[in-house]
Amino acid sequence: MGNLDTNSLFLLTAIIAPLLAGVVLLLGARFSPTTMRAIAVFGFAWPLIIGLLLYSRFDPSLIGAYNFELCLPTGLESIGIYLHLGLNGISMPLFLLAGTVGLAAGLYAMYSKAERPHLYLALLLFMLGGLMGTFASIDVFFFYFFHEFALIPTFLMIGMWGGVGRRGAAIEMTIYLTLGALLSLLGLIALYVQSGADSFSLIELRNYLSAQPLSDTVQNNIFALLLFGFGILVSLFPFHSWAPKGYAVAPTGAAMLHAGVLKKFGLYGLLQIAAPLLPAGADHWFPWIVWLALGNIIFIGLVTLAQKDLKMMLGYSSVMHMGYAFLGLACFSVIGAGGALLLMVAHGLSVALLFMLSTCIYHRSQTFDLSEMGGLATKAPVLAAFFVAGSMASIGLPGFGNFWGEFTIFAALAETELTRWIVVPAATGIIISAIYGLRAVANIFFGQPKAAFVERLQSDQITDLQAFEKLSAGILIAALVLTGIFPRVFSDDANRELLELYPQQQSHLPVIHSAVLSTDVDTHKELTH
Amino acid sequence: MTAAQSLLAVLITPLLSAALIAFFCRRLGTVASTISVLAAAGIFVFSLIAIRGAAGEDVSISWTWLRLGDFEVSMGFLFNGVSATMLTMVGFVGFLIHVFSLGYMAEDNARARFFGGLSIFMFSMLGIVLADNLIMIFVFWELVGFSSYMLIGHYLNTEEAAAASKKAFIVNRVGDFGFLIGIVYAYWHFGTTNLSEMHGIVAGNRELISACIAALLMCGFIGKSAQFPLHVWLPDAMAGPTPVSALIHAATMVAAGVYFLIRIQFLFPSEVLTFIAWLGTTVAVYAGFCAYGQNDIKKILAYSTLSQLGYMSAAFGLGFPGVALFHLITHAFFKALLFLAAGSVIHGCHHEQDIFKMGGLLKKMPITAITFLLGTLALCGVYGLAGFYSKDAILIAAGLQHSPIFILLTLGAFLTAGYMGRLFWIAFLGQPKSEAASHAKESPLTMLVPLIVLAVLSVAGGWIGFWPEQLGGLIRDNLEHLHHLPDYDTMHHRVLILGSAAWVLGLVLSLFFYRAGAKEDRLEQQAAPVYHFLKSRLWFDEIYGFYVAKIQQRFALFLSFIDVFIVKGIFVRGSAGIVGLVGMCSRSLHDGNIHSYVYWFLAGLVLLWAVASGLL
Repeated sequence: MGNLDTNSLFLLTAIIAPLLAGVVLLLGARFSPTTMRAIAVFGFAWPLIIGLLLYSRFDPSLIGAYNFELCLPTGLESIGIYLHLGLNGISMPLFLLAGTVGLAAGLYAMYSKAERPHLYLALLLFMLGGLMGTFASIDVFFFYFFHEFALIPTFLMIGMWGGVGRRGAAIEMTIYLTLGALLSLLGLIALYVQSGADSFSLIELRNYLSAQPLSDTVQNNIFALLLFGFGILVSLFPFHSWAPKGYAVAPTGAAMLHAGVLKKFGLYGLLQIAAPLLPAGADHWFPWIVWLALGNIIFIGLVTLAQKDLKMMLGYSSVMHMGYAFLGLACFSVIGAGGALLLMVAHGLSVALLFMLSTCIYHRSQTFDLSEMGGLATKAPVLAAFFVAGSMASIGLPGFGNFWGEFTIFAALAETELTRWIVVPAATGIIISAIYGLRAVANIFFGQPKAAFVERLQSDQITDLQAFEKLSAGILIAALVLTGIFPRVFSDDANRELLELYPQQQSHLPVIHSAVLSTDVDTHKELTH
Repeated sequence: MTAAQSLLAVLITPLLSAALIAFFCRRLGTVASTISVLAAAGIFVFSLIAIRGAAGEDVSISWTWLRLGDFEVSMGFLFNGVSATMLTMVGFVGFLIHVFSLGYMAEDNARARFFGGLSIFMFSMLGIVLADNLIMIFVFWELVGFSSYMLIGHYLNTEEAAAASKKAFIVNRVGDFGFLIGIVYAYWHFGTTNLSEMHGIVAGNRELISACIAALLMCGFIGKSAQFPLHVWLPDAMAGPTPVSALIHAATMVAAGVYFLIRIQFLFPSEVLTFIAWLGTTVAVYAGFCAYGQNDIKKILAYSTLSQLGYMSAAFGLGFPGVALFHLITHAFFKALLFLAAGSVIHGCHHEQDIFKMGGLLKKMPITAITFLLGTLALCGVYGLAGFYSKDAILIAAGLQHSPIFILLTLGAFLTAGYMGRLFWIAFLGQPKSEAASHAKESPLTMLVPLIVLAVLSVAGGWIGFWPEQLGGLIRDNLEHLHHLPDYDTMHHRVLILGSAAWVLGLVLSLFFYRAGAKEDRLEQQAAPVYHFLKSRLWFDEIYGFYVAKIQQRFALFLSFIDVFIVKGIFVRGSAGIVGLVGMCSRSLHDGNIHSYVYWFLAGLVLLWAVASGLL
């Protein structure tokens, strides 16, 4: 098992490296820009390198257990808290997502002209370290701790580098996120106390609770805390109002990492912890999740249509798409949870891409107002192509990962009689998102420039994407296309894990189907060979 | 090379071409166009190899694309007579249109983007042709929608193209909304979306055919084939370059809707079929009337396409998918020809598209004019030409089963000849009516050769006797079946007489009414209300425009208002609930500095840790 140990240590370095790089940058305010960049590149790239390495060494046969387990004492052993790290089929994709978005955001941030770059990069690195820790934690306490650890730099960055109106937005965001974190913390502590497992380790909680499940009432109450706590963090309707405004004022790097990755913490918590451990609670709150998620899709979808500001539009559209993930969770099935996972990864990539490109657009147009642009594609064709790719991914065009997420969730909803009707209202989202996505593309890039924009467009100030912007966006697009064409890079491992955690629905096919089907399949196979 | 390998090559060639162009040839128009044309030729060659390799047998292979629990998506090919026919047509017509584009787009600065787009389109279209299950069809279905979006919007900086490309995509999404729901319902209804498996299941038990699922899947067809009420995007799509109109919006993509129906014809119960027959008939007549209100040569052809798609769906609805496929193929030949010839005219006249500003082109561009005339005659169903055989079969099928549909479709045939006559007489005869038309020159050889080849096919493409055995299967079966219906001979003669009368009358009347080389629309002068009524196209665009701007957008603004002032202002923050409480607490705690929140936060965490440790 020597190999395992090295891998576990690698996993630990994925968390420590960005933190270390951040600390070095904080202390070294007088570094030359080249040194600073070299340190930052290391910090941003290391987690992804480790992620890819561990992905290649991932052993799918370890079902129910974790790969690369590492357990360090913390001084809190008596209440069952260990720095317990590891990855399974559900956390692996998110770990890689964090690494990918982290690298893209980091590269973009290194060349953007922020004031006090060393501080900016250090905070971003802390954020990344926290994110890697969140998804690598088996211990529920550290899962939560790393999230808070990543959240604090977000607030600081909005406060220090945010755009116009940052105060109001930052306060609102802080209140909401604190409240959400508080509720979910209460839920996690309640889970710890009520379970009686005397451990924060997810593995032990799981084993313990599957042997002696909690009573329905307890499950309902704890699930409520976790659902609304995590829900607020993921901008579940109607607790979403912090998100669009917060992202609109956040500096690009922070917006990319928060909207792309940190926000997935809540969903991940529901997916990996709340729903499998509290099945009765999930069942009880099912109608709530469905109606609130439909609120995300339809209500917020329509609100997105009314937005005139590019960043607000992206913020609302990101809120809208979270509705699909909640619907996937609500199904409480392997398919639904798998769809939610695929969507989380793809959405994280696409929303980070779009936030980044919206800043690139702003640098060229000096406005986020969609009604004051137009014709930018002639001057910046690569930017236009990338933005079209991002928008298409976000509205669920096949070929990008988002499609598989949405489609699988629709399939999950149609599986049982109970949820079948939900497909119809939920699928209206594919029309709504196409309308606002394409409207934005047309307003920014196509047609004739609006009167206010003519002069600027014709000046020489507008150039196409620069190399670092291309690289940063290219990483995200490549990942989106990869998950779009080969969804199995994640889905196979996730499937094995989810089959353990979630109930399989009984087959709904009438008996006659299967009889006919099996003979037909045989003939079909003969044809194949 | 086995059949399966060559099918894979068919699909990968255009994808590779698109990737090469996107990564390496963005500024190298000539290289990009060469790659794309070679890829198109490669597709056709590989298609022929595949057909040879299959030797009349069905080929099916599949791989797992995604698996989660009981939900399994596969990617695979189902290659049978129908897909072989479609593949050959798409490959060959696609190649000719690529060649034509070499000449037509020679002076375009964004040639690389254009040819890259064509390659993506070929990839997506061939995916639909070969797909063996509904989910894979949907994937490529959306991708053709995307390539259509990209190519309609080719002339980026015109408002018209920007609006049209957006409209095409969104209207198609409305159809796909139903299609998507139909697919997921079908998956759990049949336990699979594989075409041959579903066929086996419904063949074993006819009761499993579900009208609901069939109707939902039909929504996809309505969007893609621009049937009523989602037809509004197709005329606008003419804002794209003319080869795109020929390839995507006439010969292949819009016909993919009909092809899709043919692939899943076993899923349709009779009530849905009757609905489709009536839908098609309505569109055939409606679009025929609309064409009289148009002066733009491409828009006239676009309405003609709508009308002919109506004929195909009528044939399908009447229970003759093979006849629908037959008309799909012959239509692809003559409509691609008409669009390319129109493109040649537009190229010759320096992008003049108004037929009343052309005139005298028969002398200026004789080859273009003669091929256009052949296409027109084939479309009108002149005896012996391609369109005759397929339209004849549709009319016979209608006549034997459904008299009202027969009468309407015959009226449609008359309308077709009328508007095509109007177009030909006004644009090609008489004297040039504008500066551009008087300087028109015949187009270069790269454009003329595809015209001539397509003209030959428009003449001979309907002689089913000459078709290779592997391609004609379903068509021949359906025609056989038609021949053996009672009263076939009587109906055949009746259709021959009525059909011929329709085109003769249509062409002659339009010549006498509109007059060769007319400068103005005589219908507009003589009966303005009628003309304006036809031009209004029943106000569909106005109604949709009103809905989008005045209802949908206002509703969205209203919800946005609610979101900002009620959900945010009162419901959440103003409530005496937890949020308000926390808000109050934090207000009393903070000293006007955002950082203090963070410190409180940290303090909380430390406190927690301390409490936890204190339990030691």
